[in-house]
Amino acid sequence: MIRTFYDEMYAADGQVRPHYREFARWLAETPPELLAQRRREADLLFHRAGITFTLYGDEQGTERLIPFDTIPRSIPASEWRVVERGCIQRVKALNLFLADLYHDQRIIRAGIIPAEQVLANDQYQLAMQGLDLHRNIYSHISGVDLVRDSDGSYYVLEDNLRTPSGVSYMLEDRKMMMRLFPELFAAQRIAPIDHYPNLLLDTLKSSSPLDNPSVVVLTPGRFNSAFFEHAFLAREMGVELVEGADLFVRDERVFMRTTDGPKAVDVIYRRLDDAFLDPLAFNPDSMLGVPGLLAAYRCGNVVLANAIGTGVADDKSIYPYVTDMIRFYLDEEPILKNVPTWQCRKPEELSHVLAHLPELVVKETQGSGGYGMLVGPAATRAEIEAFAARIKARPAAYIAQPTLSLSTCPTFVENGIAPRHIDLRPFVLSGRETRVVPGGLTRVALREGSLVVNSSQGGGTKDTWVVED
Amino acid sequence: MRLTISHETAYHYEDQVRASIQYLRLTPHDSERQQVLSWQLDLPRPVRAQLDPFGNILHVLSLEEPHSDLVIGARGLVDIDERREAEHELQSPLPFLRFTRLTEADEALRAFASQQCRKRRDRSALIELMNALNQRMAYRPGSTAVDTSAAQAFAGGAGVCQDHTHAFLACVRSLGVPARYVSGYLFDSNSQQMASHAWAEAWLEDAWYSFDVTNQLARPERHLKLAVGLDYLDACPVRGMRRGGGFEQMHAKVLVTPTLNAQQQ
Repeated sequence: MIRTFYDEMYAADGQVRPHYREFARWLAETPPELLAQRRREADLLFHRAGITFTLYGDEQGTERLIPFDTIPRSIPASEWRVVERGCIQRVKALNLFLADLYHDQRIIRAGIIPAEQVLANDQYQLAMQGLDLHRNIYSHISGVDLVRDSDGSYYVLEDNLRTPSGVSYMLEDRKMMMRLFPELFAAQRIAPIDHYPNLLLDTLKSSSPLDNPSVVVLTPGRFNSAFFEHAFLAREMGVELVEGADLFVRDERVFMRTTDGPKAVDVIYRRLDDAFLDPLAFNPDSMLGVPGLLAAYRCGNVVLANAIGTGVADDKSIYPYVTDMIRFYLDEEPILKNVPTWQCRKPEELSHVLAHLPELVVKETQGSGGYGMLVGPAATRAEIEAFAARIKARPAAYIAQPTLSLSTCPTFVENGIAPRHIDLRPFVLSGRETRVVPGGLTRVALREGSLVVNSSQGGGTKDTWVVED
Repeated sequence: MRLTISHETAYHYEDQVRASIQYLRLTPHDSERQQVLSWQLDLPRPVRAQLDPFGNILHVLSLEEPHSDLVIGARGLVDIDERREAEHELQSPLPFLRFTRLTEADEALRAFASQQCRKRRDRSALIELMNALNQRMAYRPGSTAVDTSAAQAFAGGAGVCQDHTHAFLACVRSLGVPARYVSGYLFDSNSQQMASHAWAEAWLEDAWYSFDVTNQLARPERHLKLAVGLDYLDACPVRGMRRGGGFEQMHAKVLVTPTLNAQQQ
């Protein structure tokens, strides 16, 4: 079978696409030794800045540098505007879905989503039932993962409404490119993204009914794989970075311990999963949370961003319904496509999946980070058989999708430049308005032929440009 | 039946506690089966009541002053309608289909449930399941701990009311029937004693029905309900955390007096 891929830089006839012409010209003119030297410089600078992440499933629990590729991923502005509208539309519908689910449940009564699929879902939080949130926003910060099929059309691979990460790489990659190759930014109009921390702070502040609420970033601590990002965002926004032990609850109000005594906290940008937020309400073994936080939250005395219980909307078993949500709540046609999805919980779809495993990608509905998934075309017969047994044991825990081609982008590899598969995660901020900084995080699968872009699975990142065309 | 209840829980700590916070579910609310005529908590400082995610009345007691003793008192007067068996509710019962760490149904529990009930999902099937579980798990205080799961207690063949309830919830949910944990008080008419107790409720057709595995009772005549939840952790009367304090001693005292109810005579 010959697979064809959409390449971001080169058209099928080998011509450089218009929005890459300036870059291609520059690349051809720049001596390879200079490029190699700049790449070494980038590695060094990233190491110094401490931009690393912890690899789960690695015996040593080692911190590792996420490889940075100096060839940018570029998107023409006209194309970006469609993607942007699509992401905003999607996140609006998902927020409306969450508000509906925790109140009237119109979408269930309309027969669009089966009640059991949401209400019996582990991610559905009774704690949110009937609770009114300021502006009705549940997912203040959302990441929408996009890929492009062989014809170049964008597909949403998944939504991230819990604690989407990666925005620090988006910002640092841009800083690095501007530092290493300032001439590229002088030669063409590349949309700036450095206002993201301001937008984030504005979004967080607007999530509270108070005029000037005090905001903190709550991190699980420095052993978390994304700790760098938590510290980075707190610093960029100019707010405190706290751990659970730095906060306490008195009379349903949240306070931060400071050297000047307790200071009230109004908005918590929490990078901690629901289950760990309050050991008195959820996982009792959590040492990371704040006892009493849920009671304070339910009294309306503190905002959590994102809200508790958003996981029920980005669960992979709910994903197939998002396009219907857009039609139901917004009365609009979805701008971005969903990948066709088989739900193994349905017996007839399960048998189709089991019969076609070598062609499919199978994912755990609760999984994330590229763990616990099967990429059929890249798997051995033994791997497929082992995975089939896992699906049969717990069919409801799996969904399957066709293997998308995933577009490619030229990337520096050991012996020169070669195409590698990429995805895109724009970050959508929902507050007074819904906004997206141009571009997002581009992740690249560095292994030849690999379709898994997660940093935990050997993925790297690229600067993402939106270029005026 | 009208009951006068007085429940006192006293904690003594070996060292000073620097700060503590407790979630208290010690206040019953009105339902089809019970009417709360008066109720009051005696706490070291005044605390507002709120509803928790399951609709239980919750008090959050936070103490930042050092203390080495803590006394939590609850007392009141409640009417129980002994004839009523079912409790109706508007909220969907579907969230009570999910398992928790304490109520996870392992192979043994699933097999036990399906052998007992086969294809039947009615009240009599669940009563038989309740009785069979009681036979299978002896009531033996000290045989389990507060964080023992249903599967562990079932494998050990013994437990207390909390374990009986968890095992029943695991079985019933594995049959696809929503079920929840109830914490409350049980009145023993022989000894005029009342004790903190736990039992289960399962959703059959359109209402919640009680199943007290420990006492093999499917009619909650002598049960006063305090709180419900997915498991013990959601519904337990006191759940707290403290900084400092060292070893803890706890004494609970429950007194109950049945009062003649003029209206029911």
